[in-house]
Amino acid sequence: MKIIIIGAGEVGFHIASRLAFENKDVVVIDKNAAAVKRISDTIDAKVIVGSGSSPVILEEAGIKETEILLAVTDSDEDNLVACLIADIMSPATRKLARVRNADYDQYHEIFKDKAPHIDTIINPEIEVVKTIYSLMKAPGAVDVGELADGRVKFIGVKLDSDSRLSGVRMSHLPELLGDSRPLIAGLLREDELIVPRGNDRMQAGDLVYFICERKKLSDSLEIFEKPQANLKRVLIIGGGRIGLRLAEFLEEKSIYTKIIEINQERCHELSELMNKTVILNGDGSDQGLLIEENIKDMDVVVTLTGDEEINILVSLLSKSLGAKNAITKINKFSYFPVMSAIGIDQVVSPRLSAIDTILQHIRRGKVLSAISVSGELAEVIEAEALETSDIVGKPLKKISFPKGALVIAIIHEEVIIIPTGDDVIEPNDRVIIFAIREAVPKIEKMLTVKLEFF
Amino acid sequence: MRWRYVLKIVGILTFALGLTMIFPLLCGIYYKDQSVQPILQSMGISISLGLFLTYMFRGHQASYISQREGMAIVAFGWTVAGLLGALPFFFGGIFPTFADACFESVSGFTTTGASVLTDIESAPKGILFWRSFIQWLGGMGIIVLSLAILPFLGVGGMQLYKAEVPSPVPDKLKPRLSETAMLLWKVYALISMAEVVLLMLGSMTFYEALCHTFTTMPTGGFSTKNTSVAYYDSVYIDTIITIFMFLSGINFSLHYQALKGRPLAFWKDPECRFFVFIVFVLTIMVSANIYGSNYDSMGESLRYGAFQVVSIVTTTGYATADYLLWPGMSQVIIFLCMFLGASAGSTGGGMKCIRVMLCFKYIYRELFALIHPRSVSHVKIGGKAVPDDVLKSVIGFLALYVCLFAICSILLAATGVDFVTSISAVASSIGNIGPGFGMVGPVSNYAAIPYLGKWILIWCMLLGRLEIYTVIILLVPEFWRK
Repeated sequence: MKIIIIGAGEVGFHIASRLAFENKDVVVIDKNAAAVKRISDTIDAKVIVGSGSSPVILEEAGIKETEILLAVTDSDEDNLVACLIADIMSPATRKLARVRNADYDQYHEIFKDKAPHIDTIINPEIEVVKTIYSLMKAPGAVDVGELADGRVKFIGVKLDSDSRLSGVRMSHLPELLGDSRPLIAGLLREDELIVPRGNDRMQAGDLVYFICERKKLSDSLEIFEKPQANLKRVLIIGGGRIGLRLAEFLEEKSIYTKIIEINQERCHELSELMNKTVILNGDGSDQGLLIEENIKDMDVVVTLTGDEEINILVSLLSKSLGAKNAITKINKFSYFPVMSAIGIDQVVSPRLSAIDTILQHIRRGKVLSAISVSGELAEVIEAEALETSDIVGKPLKKISFPKGALVIAIIHEEVIIIPTGDDVIEPNDRVIIFAIREAVPKIEKMLTVKLEFF
Repeated sequence: MRWRYVLKIVGILTFALGLTMIFPLLCGIYYKDQSVQPILQSMGISISLGLFLTYMFRGHQASYISQREGMAIVAFGWTVAGLLGALPFFFGGIFPTFADACFESVSGFTTTGASVLTDIESAPKGILFWRSFIQWLGGMGIIVLSLAILPFLGVGGMQLYKAEVPSPVPDKLKPRLSETAMLLWKVYALISMAEVVLLMLGSMTFYEALCHTFTTMPTGGFSTKNTSVAYYDSVYIDTIITIFMFLSGINFSLHYQALKGRPLAFWKDPECRFFVFIVFVLTIMVSANIYGSNYDSMGESLRYGAFQVVSIVTTTGYATADYLLWPGMSQVIIFLCMFLGASAGSTGGGMKCIRVMLCFKYIYRELFALIHPRSVSHVKIGGKAVPDDVLKSVIGFLALYVCLFAICSILLAATGVDFVTSISAVASSIGNIGPGFGMVGPVSNYAAIPYLGKWILIWCMLLGRLEIYTVIILLVPEFWRK
């Protein structure tokens, strides 16, 4: 499988590294020689310095035999043009483009039918806003994801030392919690991911990943002593694209929202676009301003400025000034491991969202969604079980799943089943699989149709 | 400023006005009354003056009209129309002085409806027809003024309407003016026709229906009866007139859109929503207030309450009841209605709903900024931000309105008129309503106002009708500088 990635930024880099890790044939194109060098130094991928919308460069990259083209540069226009040129040169190639401008929101489908025939337009900002809202509603959760069109939630919470669940064996959970227990998919302990078996114990400080139905979400959070928040007042620091989208979303939900934005002109734009949101012109790290705007009464502070160091500091400052909760936007993956150490639990990453969405479209088989877990340690994959794939028609215990992979739910018609070893996956069921990074290629193989491998 | 060009336009207006006198003339001939000769005289004077001005300045063509010229044409046009319109009244001999005739005529052209005529019914029918007809003409002028001219002159925040007026030719006053005027006049005439037919289905003759339509549609308020609409004492006629007064209080470009098959335009327009809401609330308040104290049945209270509230808030000024006999609260509401007025772009006067709305929103924004000193916010109408320069001119307009109200009230009181009469007559004249309180209540008239007082009120009517700035700017020396 050959994939061309245009744009060697953070998203391009991480997609390339994942795909190369899964032994796919990756070509990365970027104008910036330094960015390209970073890839060729660390990843087993072919690189080309040049413009991704140049037909000559695309020819050189081998566009004709390429299965998927990803256009993920920072410029919407560059991405669209690259897809257009690729469409002319090789109509059979699937094209994915990252397009972030909200003006294109209505046109995603049109671009699919008409030139440049982009199969999927990815706007991670839409997903990020949803994720931020889910995090707001579940202030104790570190990670949230949606599966099965939102009917199933995937949640990661940190186990407190005084929790009644700390030290409990997995096999004891049924008698402790009864039938309404959430299904525990994995434990993250000191950067090591454990797919728990009956004898494993949960420990204080573990990051516990579980899935549950949407309607049971609040009960499940209660079990981990992380109740859902009653969301009334939100402060957004940074009125960029995500800030605007988030504020519009919250305005619809009638949540009282304030935005602090440093750029005066942007403030005027925001004020013209929004009706109820309070727009404040000032520096989000200005303690006086935060106090004046009643930071201590805020249910959530969301830091969304373009500078992640400032986001981290303002989140910490807000919490110390009395805000109940803070959500921080981080783009550099290298910061993820230290976040919880410095007391920042809820983090969103537009780039990670973009990667998730892209992965979902690149995966073979009928993958419906893919969620990266704790940076990139593991993945949750939701897929349709194809009739001829390896996983269909026999009890789960008879299937040889790779180590570190677990079927955490089967959605049969409308029913969500939390499986035991005796359950059988029927054709066209949806399965939700939790897999550590090393197991992903094998899982992917199992999900695809057998015939391909004869 | 191209003086000669302005005079030429005024000449054309004068000529056209003379031509329209053919209608009262025909009416006079039909009824064979005393009006034929005075109307012929006035017609002769108007047409010859018009021809003279047009001929004198025939060489002056212009492809565009500047802002100053626009204002001068508007102000002079209305003044000249007021003076010439007074001629049939003066020659007809039913007014003691030229000031009285002028008062009546200006009150007509500005669609005020304040009258100095005590015994209306004894006047010749042709003259009465002219009296109603000039209100209708005034209404035509106002629609074009407020929807096509003022938005371009940027007077009192009216530039808000620049984009919203139906017009095939955007952004050029002159071509836009004629096209827009034709569209809106068609709408105006269409609604007028509907009212004539509906009134005739009541107990009115064609003549009476026509005269009352001519004064309802421009929210004028002259009646051909001494006791105004109360003469008919008919629920049907009261209802029809209430509805048409109400319609006339709505922006005519919305009527145009509705007739084009977009009836939702009324609901989408924030000013229209506000107007409907305020009329509804005030009607309920007044009706509840007069129920029991003045009327025994709820139906009657509603009938008279609604009629009077709509009549005053749309600045029409018809009367079916003497609100001076109503309780204090109703009187205060009616007095305040004189300031509020109807929608911009309608034929109504007053401050206009949109300006009052903007003013309240502006006040809220100021209070909000005190609570959040760093906040950035815009005053919005219908989800769209209102530019600051529009807000400034609106606030300026309202301040000027109140100032002029105060100054003119003092001047009128100085001529020997009592307190209540002074302030209500001035409020009523600036707002182009008609009746006031005290000596000038709904069942009396302006005949008792002293000679000088009448000139003050004539001035007030013109000021209010032409959105103040257009008239007052002529008094600024800078305007005349080359």
